[in-house]
Amino acid sequence: MLLTRKATGQAVPQSRLSRTIPIQTLDRRTFLKRSGITVGAGAVASQLPFSMIREAEAQNAEGKLEVKRTICTHCSVGCAIDAVVQNGVWVRQEPVFDSPINLGAHCAKGASVREHGITHDSHRLKYPMKLEGGKWKRVSWDQAYDEISKKMLEIRKQSGPDSLFLVGSSKHNNEQAELLCKWARLWGTNNTDHQARICHSTTVAGLGQTWGYGAMTNSYNDEQNSKSLLFLGSNAAEAHPVSMLHTIHARENGCKVIVADPRFTRTAAKADKYVRFRSGTDVPLLFGVLHVIFKNGWEDKEYLKNRVYGMDQVKKEVMEKWSPQQASAVTGTPVEDIEYIAKTMAENRPGFIIWAMGQTQHNNANGIVRASNIVQLALGNVGRSGGGCNVYRGHDNVQGATDVGPNPDTLPGYYPVAVPGSWTHWAKVWNVDIEWLKKQYASEAMMAKPGMTVSRWIDGVLEKNDAIDQDSNLRMIIYWGHAPNSQSRGSEMLEAMKKIDLMVVIDPYPSASAAMFAKVRQDGAYLLPAATQFETDGSVTASNRSLQWREKVIEPLFESRTDQMIMYQLAGKLGFGDQFIGKKDGKADHIRLVKGKGGMDEPSMEDTLRNEINAGTWTIGYTGQSPERLQAHMRNMHVFDVKTTRARGGKDAKTGYDLTGDYFGLPWPCYGNAKIKHPGTPLLYDTHKHPMDGGHAFRALFGVEKDGVNLLAEDGIANKGSDITTGYPQFDHVLLKKLGWWDELTDEEKAAAEGKTWANDLSGGIQRVAMKHGCTPFGNAKARAVVWNWPDQIPQHREPLFSPRPDMVEKYPTHDDVKVLWRLPTLFKSVQQQAVKDEVYKKFPLVLTSGRLVEYEGGGDETRSNPWLAELQQDGFCEINPKTAADRGIRNGEWVWVSTPGKNPGGGNVRLKVKAKVTEGVGPDTIFIPFHFAGWWQGEDMLPYYPEGSAPIVRGEAVNTATTYGYDRITLMQETKTTLCQVAKA
Amino acid sequence: MSRLLAALVLAAFGLAACGEREQVIQPVSEKRYQGKRDSKPWDNDSPVAELRGGKWTKGNQASWEEQIKIRQLAQHEHKRIYQ
Amino acid sequence: MARMKFLCDAERCIECNGCVTACKNENEVPWGVNRRRVVTINDGVVGAEKSISVACMHCSDAPCMAVCPVDCFYRTDDGVVLHDKDLCIGCGYCFYACPFGAPQFPQAGAFGLRGKMDKCTFCAGGPEPDRSAAEFQKYGRNRLSEGKLPACAEMCSTKALLGGDGDVIADIYRERVTRRGRGSEVWGWGTAYGQAPRPGAQPPQQQQPSGQKS
Repeated sequence: MLLTRKATGQAVPQSRLSRTIPIQTLDRRTFLKRSGITVGAGAVASQLPFSMIREAEAQNAEGKLEVKRTICTHCSVGCAIDAVVQNGVWVRQEPVFDSPINLGAHCAKGASVREHGITHDSHRLKYPMKLEGGKWKRVSWDQAYDEISKKMLEIRKQSGPDSLFLVGSSKHNNEQAELLCKWARLWGTNNTDHQARICHSTTVAGLGQTWGYGAMTNSYNDEQNSKSLLFLGSNAAEAHPVSMLHTIHARENGCKVIVADPRFTRTAAKADKYVRFRSGTDVPLLFGVLHVIFKNGWEDKEYLKNRVYGMDQVKKEVMEKWSPQQASAVTGTPVEDIEYIAKTMAENRPGFIIWAMGQTQHNNANGIVRASNIVQLALGNVGRSGGGCNVYRGHDNVQGATDVGPNPDTLPGYYPVAVPGSWTHWAKVWNVDIEWLKKQYASEAMMAKPGMTVSRWIDGVLEKNDAIDQDSNLRMIIYWGHAPNSQSRGSEMLEAMKKIDLMVVIDPYPSASAAMFAKVRQDGAYLLPAATQFETDGSVTASNRSLQWREKVIEPLFESRTDQMIMYQLAGKLGFGDQFIGKKDGKADHIRLVKGKGGMDEPSMEDTLRNEINAGTWTIGYTGQSPERLQAHMRNMHVFDVKTTRARGGKDAKTGYDLTGDYFGLPWPCYGNAKIKHPGTPLLYDTHKHPMDGGHAFRALFGVEKDGVNLLAEDGIANKGSDITTGYPQFDHVLLKKLGWWDELTDEEKAAAEGKTWANDLSGGIQRVAMKHGCTPFGNAKARAVVWNWPDQIPQHREPLFSPRPDMVEKYPTHDDVKVLWRLPTLFKSVQQQAVKDEVYKKFPLVLTSGRLVEYEGGGDETRSNPWLAELQQDGFCEINPKTAADRGIRNGEWVWVSTPGKNPGGGNVRLKVKAKVTEGVGPDTIFIPFHFAGWWQGEDMLPYYPEGSAPIVRGEAVNTATTYGYDRITLMQETKTTLCQVAKA
Repeated sequence: MSRLLAALVLAAFGLAACGEREQVIQPVSEKRYQGKRDSKPWDNDSPVAELRGGKWTKGNQASWEEQIKIRQLAQHEHKRIYQ
Repeated sequence: MARMKFLCDAERCIECNGCVTACKNENEVPWGVNRRRVVTINDGVVGAEKSISVACMHCSDAPCMAVCPVDCFYRTDDGVVLHDKDLCIGCGYCFYACPFGAPQFPQAGAFGLRGKMDKCTFCAGGPEPDRSAAEFQKYGRNRLSEGKLPACAEMCSTKALLGGDGDVIADIYRERVTRRGRGSEVWGWGTAYGQAPRPGAQPPQQQQPSGQKS
C-alpha cells in the first residue's frame, strides 16, 4: 500500500517498494508492465528473506522528486542531510558533501534519520491517548484538548499558575523554543525548564561568569587550527562522532590529543595519551596541571596582565594546595601524567579543553567548569583561533533552546526574570500588554522569582509545602519533548507521578513517561503526538553557535501535529491564543498564521524568527540571522571554507544575496539587524579581528573596577581597527553621547535608542555605531578568574555526596545545606555526612558512572524505536573490570544486579538488572552504565504499561532509576556521573 | 531496451553471459557464471538532479569513471579543506 | 579502468556504526542481516584497541566464486563481486570460504532453513535491470548506476572507510599516511587484493597468491 501524506491517515503499512524511486529512465516501469516477467520476478522475490516486497509489483510509485535540505536531530554537531522526497514520502537520504560542518559524514544516528519517515511498523505515538482505568485509550484531539484545558484551569483556580511545571525541549527548533518560553509566561509561571539544565547549565553559568557568554568559544572546525586538545569529560567518538572528523584531521596534522576520563573510551582509543582519574575529581586534576604550569612559568604573563582579573589569587591558592602530588593523591592519577598534560598543553598552544557531561553533571560542576576556564586563561588560550573551551552541547538545539527557550530564570536571550526591564522589553517584542501579563502571574514577586528546575520537579511535588518557596506544590507536569529517564532519582519520580493531578506528554515518542505513569496510576495522564523536526521548518543552533535552517521534509505523520500548532491550539483553549501570536492593537502580522496539517492554522516559523527572536534577542546577537540569510547559507554551503567557516565569495542564485565574508550559519553573536550584514562571530573574545569581521572581546559584565583593580582590558587591547584602543564598558546611550557618536544614529534610531543600552535598543543603532568604530557592543573587559559573587570564589574541590573516600570527604567536604535554591530546599552536607556515618562506601564500594552510546540519543525512546539503530544495541549493560567481575564470579555477558544507595519507597535499595560487559575500559573501582535505556523497572519489563504499538524495540534498565541525590550549588545540575554501587550476579 | 531484452532472453534460457564476462582472474577454477547477465552502470542515463548523482555520457565508460573518481574525492577531506 | 575497492583506516575508525546504518537505510536490509559491521578488537585495552568496518571486500581472487557449487557469482567490469540470488541455493559454502565473514544467511521459515545468501553489493545492485524494483527488492540500491559510491563510505563519520576506485583510494590513503607518519598498515588489503595500498606498507603475513589487477 502506498503511503500517502494525508494528514489524518492512520498507521499505514508501507511496503519496501513504495519507497523505491523511479529513475527518469523507462526501464523499471516498462519492465513491470510485462506481465509474465512481473510474475516471475514476484515469485522469486517471495522466496527471499526480504519479506516486505510482495504486493510491490502492482505499485506505481511515479512522482515528482524533491530534495529537502535538513539537519540531523541527534546531536549538536549539525550535520546536513539531503532528504529526497517523492509523493510526500521520504524515499532516500543523500550526504551533503558541501556542508563545511560535516562534509557529508554521519554517525549511526545521522545515517539512519530517514527512518523517521517510515510508517511501516512505526513505534511513534500515532494519536492522542488518555489513561483510563489503567489502560491507554485512544481519544480525539478535541477531546484531549477539552479535558486537559478544563483540568488545567480548574487546578490553576485552586492552586495558582505555579502549580504547573512545564518541561520544554532542546529538540524544539529555535522558534518553537522561543514560543514555548513565551507560552509558559503567558500562562503565568517561571516553572519551566528543558534539557539544558541537566546538560550544560553549569557550563553556561561558569563560562558566563568568567567572560560573558556561556557558549562554546570556538567551533568544531577550529580544532583543525589547534596544536593540543584535552578531552576532559567528553567521549566525542560516541556522543559527537562527526566532530571527530575535525579532531582526527587535526591530530594527523600534528595536534596532540589527550583524553582524561575515568573510562578508556572510543575517543581515548584515538588519542596520543590516555589519563585515568577518579570520577568527580576534575578540579584537583586541573589544578594539579595548573600548579605545574605556574611552577615552570609557562603561563602567558602578558595575556594575564592585559585580559584577566584575579589570576594572582588563584595562583596563590593553587601553589599552596595543589601540588601534583596532592592532586595525585585525590585523583589517583600518577604525577607524571599530570605533568605530561601540563607540559603538552604549554608546549602546544593554541589548544582546547573539550568537555561535555563528564564535567557538567557533578554536584561540584560549577567549580570544575571554572577550573577549566582558568587553565585556559593561564595559557592564554581563549580568544584566538585554535584555542578555547569547546563545550560540546548535547541535543541538536540545546544551544538554541538555552539561548531563547523555556528557562526558569531568564526570558529569551538571557534577560533575567528578576529584572523588570526584561519583562518590558519582551512584552514589547511579543506585542503583549505588560499589565495583562502581570495579572497572569500569581504576583509580581513570583514573576521575578526564578522557577524550579527540571532536575528537581519531583521535589516540587514531594517536598513539604512549607519548605518550598511558592504557594502550592506542583500539581501538573507537562513533558513537552523531554524524556523522564534523563533525570536522576528515578525511583522517587514514580512517587511524584503517583501524587500529581495531571501529566501531559507531548512527544513523538512519549513512551518512557507513559509507561512509568501507567505503572503507578489508573488515570490522570494524556499523551499528545507531536511532529518531529523533519515535519516542520525552522532554525537550529549547533554547538558552535551557527544557525541552520531546516526545510520541512514531510508532513506530520499519523495524527501528529507540529509543536507550534499544539502550542497555539492549547493556548487558545487556555485563553491566551491571541497573546500567543501578538495580536495586541489589532496587529495581524506579528506572527502570521499559516496553514499546517489538515489545513489548520499554526504560527509561522519565519515570522517567529524575524519578529520575535531577531527583534528582541540583542544580548547574544540573534538579531542578524534573518530567515533569508540563513536560507541563502543552506543553499550555498559550498562557498564556506572548512577551516575558517567563512565564505570567500559567492552570490545566492535565488535571491542575489552576497555571501562574501559571512561565517557559516552566522554564529551568534551576529549583532545588529540583518541589514548591516554582520558576518557572525566564529570565535568568541577574539580581538585580533574587527567586530564587523567577526571580532569580539571579553564582556564588561562585572563593573569597571573591583577593589581598586581595573576590570576593563588594559591599554593596547582592543579589536583590530577599534577607535578606542583600551578597555571600555558596555555601550549605552550615555557612552555614545560622551564619545560624540550619538549623531551617527539616524533619527529613527535615536528615538528608539534614547535611554537604552546595546541590549535593549530595539533599533540596533547602538550596536551598529559601536561596531562601526571597531568596538564590541558589550564592552571590552577582562575575564574573571575569581567569581566573587559565588560561594566558591576560587574553584574548590568538593567530594561527591556519595564518595568512595571518607578520608577525602573529611578533607574536601561539600557545601552547607541551602534552605531555598530555585524555590526548593537543597541538601549538601547532611546527605554527605550521613552517607559517611552509615558507611555507605563499604556496602557500595564501587563508583557508578554513566554516559552515552553512539547508537542512541538522550532518553533513547526515539532511537531505540529505530530498528536500524536498535539492532546494534539490544541489551542494557554495565561495563565492569575483569578483576571486579572475577572477584564476584561474574562472566562476560551474564546478567548482574547493580544496586545503589538509592532507596525504593517500599524499602530496599534500588537495583538494576543489566548484562555484564567485562572490559579493562573501566578501572577495578568503577562501573559504567549507558543512560539511554528505559522500559525495565528493576528487573521488570514494563511492556504492559506502554500504549499499544508505541513501546520501543529495545528496552532496558534506566541508569537514572538508581542514581542518587546530589545537585550543583549554583544551577541544580544533577549528579549522574559519580555515585556508589555494588554488583552481584543475577 | 534491447539490452534489457537480451538479458531476459539469456536468463530465460539459462545460457548465462559466459562469453561476455571478462573474468580476468580465475585461478581456482575455470567455472563460469551461470546467472543472468548484469548491465553496466554507464549504460544508464544520468539520474535526475534530485538524486544527487553523477553526470556522464550514456554508454561511455570513461566518462562514467571520470565522474565517479571526482566524486570519490568527497571522501578525501583534505580536498574540501584545502581547496 | 576503475577497480572498485574498500579500505578501512583503523587509525580513524571510531566504531560509530554510521556505515552500518547507512547500509541498512540505503538498501533496506532487514533486521538480522548485516552486510557491513564494525569490529573492535582489544576493547578497553589502552594502546591496543582498534576498530575496523568489515563487509565484502570484492576480492580480486574471490574465494566465494571459487567454491560456489552453482556458479552464481560474477565480477563486474569495475571489479565488484555480485551474485544472482535466483541461482543461489543457500548452501553456505561461500560463508566458509570468505576471509571476511561477509555472506549473510537470513533464516527463512520455521525450520531455520538458510535463505538465499545476501551480501554487500558495493551499492551496485545485482543482475536485474539497473534501478529497477526487482533489483532493489533482491539486492538493494544501485548507486553505481546513479554515478554514486557506496553509502557506507560516502557517509563515514571520520572518512575512515573509503570506497571507490582502488587507485584513487591509494592516493587518498597515501597522502593521509604521509601527513600523519604512521598507520600505514591496512587491514584486509593483502587478503582481498593481494597488494598493499602504497609502496612500503606492510600487508599481513599470510600473503595470498598475488592477483592481477583487473
